[in-house]
Amino acid sequence: MEQILKNAIKRGQKSLSEYESKAVVKSAGVAITSEKLARSREEATTFAEEIGYPVALKGCSATLAHKTEAGVVKLNLADAKAVRDAYDEITGRVSEIDGVLVQEMIKGSREFVIGLTRDPQFGPCVMFGIGGIFTEAIKDVSFRIAPLTEEDAEEMIEEIKMKKLLGGFRGSPAVDRSELVRALVGIGELALRHSEIAEIDINPLIIAGNKPVAADALIILAG
Amino acid sequence: MDVQTQNSQLEKFFNPSSVAVIGASNGLFNLGATICNCLKNYIKFPGPVVAINRKAEEVSGYPGYSSVTDVSHDIDLAVIITPASVVPSFVRQCGEKGIRNIVIESAGFSEQGGEGKKLQKEIDDCAKQYGIRLLGPNCLGVMNNVTRFCCFYGAYDGIMDALNKAGGVSYVIQSGGVGVVIIESLMDDMQGINKMVSIGNKTDVDEADLLDYFNNDNTQVISMYLENVADGTKLMKAASRVKKPIMIFKSGRTEAGTAAALSHTAGMANNDVIFDSMCRQAGIIRLKSISELYSLPKMLTEMPLLRGNRIAAFTNSGAFGSISADIMVDAGLTIPRLSPETREKLSKIKGVFNVNNPVDIGPALPQVYLDLIDIILAAPEVDGLLLMSSIWRDFVIDVIKEVIKMCRHYDKPAAIYTPNSISKIISVRKQFNVPIFDSMEEAVRALVVSYEQLRYLRKKEQYIGADFKERD
Repeated sequence: MEQILKNAIKRGQKSLSEYESKAVVKSAGVAITSEKLARSREEATTFAEEIGYPVALKGCSATLAHKTEAGVVKLNLADAKAVRDAYDEITGRVSEIDGVLVQEMIKGSREFVIGLTRDPQFGPCVMFGIGGIFTEAIKDVSFRIAPLTEEDAEEMIEEIKMKKLLGGFRGSPAVDRSELVRALVGIGELALRHSEIAEIDINPLIIAGNKPVAADALIILAG
Repeated sequence: MDVQTQNSQLEKFFNPSSVAVIGASNGLFNLGATICNCLKNYIKFPGPVVAINRKAEEVSGYPGYSSVTDVSHDIDLAVIITPASVVPSFVRQCGEKGIRNIVIESAGFSEQGGEGKKLQKEIDDCAKQYGIRLLGPNCLGVMNNVTRFCCFYGAYDGIMDALNKAGGVSYVIQSGGVGVVIIESLMDDMQGINKMVSIGNKTDVDEADLLDYFNNDNTQVISMYLENVADGTKLMKAASRVKKPIMIFKSGRTEAGTAAALSHTAGMANNDVIFDSMCRQAGIIRLKSISELYSLPKMLTEMPLLRGNRIAAFTNSGAFGSISADIMVDAGLTIPRLSPETREKLSKIKGVFNVNNPVDIGPALPQVYLDLIDIILAAPEVDGLLLMSSIWRDFVIDVIKEVIKMCRHYDKPAAIYTPNSISKIISVRKQFNVPIFDSMEEAVRALVVSYEQLRYLRKKEQYIGADFKERD
C-alpha cells in the first residue's frame, strides 16, 4: 500500500487508478470487489474464470477519471467470448492504460458512498451517505472529523435522511453496521497517516447481501 | 502552556487590580475617556487607573502619563484604544513595563487587509516576545459582572443594569454589536451575564482559550457568537473536555473552497457542513439564531436536563395542544400516549377535558394545576413537560414557582410558555426569576437543546465512567 502511494507520487500522478485506489482503501478496512488487472486478452479470460461469471471489465488508468463516459466499462459479461470482445473494445478505445480490470459483478440495489476531504480548519473529514450516480444531486451525506470513534461513525450513519435503506429493505437484509463503522473509522485513520492523500471517493459502495463492498474508488493525491 | 497556567494569566483580563487606559484623553468624542468614565463612575473600580496620552493629562480624575513606563506602580491590564498605526509602539512599552495582559480595542488591523494585516503581525510578534496575552484587536473588551469589572468603550449608565444582574451565562462574542444586543435583550429576562468577552480579530486569545477559562470559573453555560474559527482542532479539543453546556451561533455559511474540488466528497463538503459536524462530534449545541443566544440558556441553568424525548404537553386550550404537537414532532420529540395508570389518576381530577397527551384542562384553581402537573411529571412514560397555561391570574407566578420545584424533585424539565399573558409575564419574569419563553417554538426548542446537552454530557462523561445514562 505504501509502495502504491510512493510509486504514484514518483510518477507524478495526480490520482490513483481504480485498481490502486481500491488496494489502498482495502488496507484501511474497506471490503472491495475481487478483481485482477489483466494485461492480455488471455489473462482477462483466465481471471474471469477464477473470479466466476458474470464479470465486469474496466479500462484501468490513473488518467481515466470518467470511465463510463469514455466507454471503457463493460458490465455483466457472462462468458469467455464476451470477455474477449470487451477486452478488445476497451483496448481499442484507449491507448494509455495500465491494463484491463477484471472484476466480480456484485449484486445489490443499495448504493452508498464513503468519502474523504480535507478541511482547511478541521483537517481530514470522513463522509458517509447515499451513493451512486445521483449522489451529488441527492446530497444525503454526513461528515465527521478524523479521528473518528466508533460512536462518531455510528452517529454519522444515523444522520442520513435515507437511513431506512440500512435496515431490512424490500427483502434485503439489514446492513452489517459494524463493517460500515470499521470502514469509516479506517478511512479516517488512513487520512491521518497519509497526508499525501487529499481526497477519496468510494462510490458506489454496494451492499452485497448485508456487506458493504467498494465497487469503485478514486483517490486524489495532494498537489 | 497548560490550561491551568493559561487560565491564571487570562484571569487578569477579568480581574485586574490596576488598569492603564492607553489613548484616553479629554479630546472630543475620545473613546478611551468613556472607559475611564465607566471605571470611575459606573463600576467605581477599586484599584489604581492611569490614562496614557500625549499631553499626560488627567482623565475622569485618573492621573495622566505619556507612557506606561513612567508609571511607578505595577499595572495588571492595559486597554489600548488609539489609532492602529501607533498600537505596536504602545504594545512594546507595555512589554517593557511588565504588563502581560493587553486588550486592543482599536480597529484597523487584519479586518482591513494589507497594511492592517502587517500591523497585526507586528503586535503579535511583539506580544510573543514579552509573553503578553492579547485580546482583540478590533474588539469591545471585557465585562465581568461577578466582580464588577468592565472595559467596554462607549459604556453608558445602562451598563449598570447588566452589571447589577450577574448570572450564570458567559459570552464570547466576535462582534461588539452582538454583545450589546445580548445585554439589552437580557434586561427583561431572568438570566444574567456572568462574563462577556468580545474577541474581535482574536490574534491571540481565541474562543478555545476562553472555553477552558469558563470551564474553570463559576460560569454555568458558555454561549458564543462566532464569525470564523481561529483554530479548528484546538476548538474541538477544548470543547470535548468542557462539560458545561456550550452554545454557538455562527454566521458565514459560505461555500468557499469547494470550487476546486476534484472528488464528489470535496464537492459536497463546505465549511458550514463541516462546522456542523464538528459541533455534534465535540458536543457543542449549535444555535440557529442570534436570539437563541439569550433566550435558551435559562433552560439549562434553571431546569434539570431532559433525559429522553417523550414530552407531555399541558394546556388550557386544545388548539395549543395540537399546534405544539406539530412543532414537537418536527423537532424530533415524541408525544407519548399516557399509560392507563396515569390516565386514571388524571381522570379523578375535576375539570380535565382530555386525559390523553396533550392534557387539556378548563378553568381551575391553582392546586388543580399543581396536582395535574405532579401526576404528569411523575409518570414514567414522560421525560419532560411543555407547560402552556393560557391564563393570567395573580397565581400564575406562584404555580410556576411550584412547578420549578417539582421539576427538580422529579429530575424532569418543563419548558414554560403562557400564551394568553405573554406580555404581562415577560414584564415580571425577571422580578420573579422564572424561566418563561417568549413563544411556543422557543419553548420546544429549549426542550430539544436540553436533550442535546444530555446526550453530549453522556458522551463526555462516558470517558470517566460517570453515570449519566439516557432513559429507554
